[in-house]
Amino acid sequence: MAFSQHNLGTVVGFEFTRTIKKKGFAIATLSIPVLLVLLFVLIYASNSSTEASADAQKNASLSFTYTDASGIIPAGMAQAAGGKTATDPDAAIAAVKDGSSEAYFDYPADPSTEPVKVYGADKGMFENGKYEAVAEQLLNAAAQSQVANPRLTAALSGGVDFDSETYRDGKPSGGIESVIPPLLFLVLFYVAMILLSNQMLNSTLEEKENRVTEMILTTLNPTTLITGKIISLFSVGLVQMLVFLAPIAAGYLFFRDSLALPEMDLSSLIIEPGPMITGALLLLGGFTLFTGVLVAIGAIMPTAKEAGTIFGPLMAAMFIPFYTFSLIISDPDSVIVQVFTYFPLTAPVTAMLRNGFGTLSGMEATIVIAELFIVGLLILRLAVHLFRYGSIEYGKKLSIAGTFRRKELAAK
Amino acid sequence: MTLGDAAEPLVHIQNFRMDFGDTTVIKDLSFDVRAGETFGFLGSNGSGKTTTLRALLGIYQPTAGTLHIGGKVFEPRDGARLGYLPEERGLYKKEAVLDVMVYFGRLKGLSKTAAKTWSQEYLERVGLVDKAAVRLDKLSGGQQQKVQLGVTIMNDPELLILDEPTKGFDPVNRRLLMDIIEEQKLAGATVIMVTHQMEEVERLCDRVILLKDGTARAYGTVSEVQEQFGGTLYRVTFEGILPASALYDVVTNAGGRAELAPRLGATETGVLRELVEAGVAVRSFTTARVSLEEIFIQVYGEQQMAEVQ
Repeated sequence: MAFSQHNLGTVVGFEFTRTIKKKGFAIATLSIPVLLVLLFVLIYASNSSTEASADAQKNASLSFTYTDASGIIPAGMAQAAGGKTATDPDAAIAAVKDGSSEAYFDYPADPSTEPVKVYGADKGMFENGKYEAVAEQLLNAAAQSQVANPRLTAALSGGVDFDSETYRDGKPSGGIESVIPPLLFLVLFYVAMILLSNQMLNSTLEEKENRVTEMILTTLNPTTLITGKIISLFSVGLVQMLVFLAPIAAGYLFFRDSLALPEMDLSSLIIEPGPMITGALLLLGGFTLFTGVLVAIGAIMPTAKEAGTIFGPLMAAMFIPFYTFSLIISDPDSVIVQVFTYFPLTAPVTAMLRNGFGTLSGMEATIVIAELFIVGLLILRLAVHLFRYGSIEYGKKLSIAGTFRRKELAAK
Repeated sequence: MTLGDAAEPLVHIQNFRMDFGDTTVIKDLSFDVRAGETFGFLGSNGSGKTTTLRALLGIYQPTAGTLHIGGKVFEPRDGARLGYLPEERGLYKKEAVLDVMVYFGRLKGLSKTAAKTWSQEYLERVGLVDKAAVRLDKLSGGQQQKVQLGVTIMNDPELLILDEPTKGFDPVNRRLLMDIIEEQKLAGATVIMVTHQMEEVERLCDRVILLKDGTARAYGTVSEVQEQFGGTLYRVTFEGILPASALYDVVTNAGGRAELAPRLGATETGVLRELVEAGVAVRSFTTARVSLEEIFIQVYGEQQMAEVQ
């Protein structure tokens, strides 16, 4: 057994080292943080320009003329905002057209039924929006000033805070703050599969394509080889994630203000042990299942090119549950959601979504987790069998039944 | 870790049968390989030699029969000191020569330092020390085969199984390779060698088996096999006409040189006397064994001999 562990460590070390030494890996891994850094630089430059532009706009006042058939706009308020009353609407429009006036607002007698007409000198697609904004702001401020009641004003303007509490099984249930943490396992699942799936598929293909299978099979137990490859792939994925996250972490820690990154209040997240444990187990089970399937495909197919034809549909199975996203949330007992919950290839994503949104019962979670681990481990065993008795068929597509047809002789 | 008890045959194959679908490749094969001997595994293309080795090593599941190494079915996890050079050559082509050798050395139980030291010494010996950091796919076919042989003989294998080891080598490197195999033999390794090169068999092998149509056509020491196929030949240089005789069969006869296969009970003196009495002027008369190449031709025919060579 000590020899096996020694060999497992040797395989992990060899596979890990040669993967991270590849130029392609370095380019693929480093390109993401490089792109992120470039993106941050662009955001920084854009923010500086936007700030300068906003400052300029703040200092520049809009001068306009207006007519108010509704009588809502107090003259003093309009004047403070840079407005002057127009006596002749046609002349005011003509003045805007010839450039002698920046803008003209025509407030109708009943703004609830008729539109406010806004005329302005063209200052580009984005800056032209300010005319409508100023006209609307002036009307809102004028209406609120006539209510003369701060509470009603607050209610009308939407300046009221709401504090919600919901209950499940008699106990307070969390809102979006409780949904986010378990859904992080789904994010991790997707990241792991996107980063590693192609390498899992190719892990045993390489032995076949290089015709090294016979040397390996007489030196090393195939279970040890495949386990070592999976562990090394997982380690490689962790390295990639760390490299990807490094610029984001650096951005948050040192440049949050200059990059205008949103402030995250992690303390508001509600971490419930049940959904978190379920999410973690679903992640591990799903990873086991997909790893087994990908390694088995690699053992069956003679080349990476031919394996790619199966790879696409398999990856699609990971995204199909999102087509029923609304049903997953609103009607988890519907037939399609139930099928997706238990069908092995759609089960991880569907169950993780339902777990996040709190619609996966304890019994369902137990069944799906058990199913993922059992099916995953069975497929991994099948993958080892196919590799052992099938990968010698260099250049040929393997018959799975053929590997079982011959009778194994018991050691006498 | 030792492979088995020295008193028992190291390799024991009994009533081995191998079917691929409806095709029977091996019908009923039985033989033993004793510890410390060099065993020649001979046969024409497609006679089932590689299939037998793969089944012995657990790569194929046999249809029937017993295939044991050291008294049990071979499992690589035993950590046995076994070196196998397969017919289908291949290593991790995109990796550096030394990295691949050290990897296999580690898998065979050597420490990293020992594997590295051994690999460097081997590469120096086979003239590849300057290629240690070069990717395998940048090496020629022959150079890659040298590396693969190195990987095979790492950690002093107790059992060395070589499937056509000299295939693709030029005469100089073939001799180097044969020297290396002979060293392994002298160091106590049991060697099973599949080859079509009869001079290699005659130089190295203690015993041989000839496989044809999934069964053994001959099995034993080289002398025993020669004996089974006529054993002795008389080589005669002469002038005159060879007479027909009840004492011998004429195997070849051209340009004053002939090979005569003596019939049962015939002696050198009797044959020589008959030739002289028939008026043949005998210039030389020597006794020789039937060569393995001649036996191979007898068993497989001229055409197949040409194919394998």
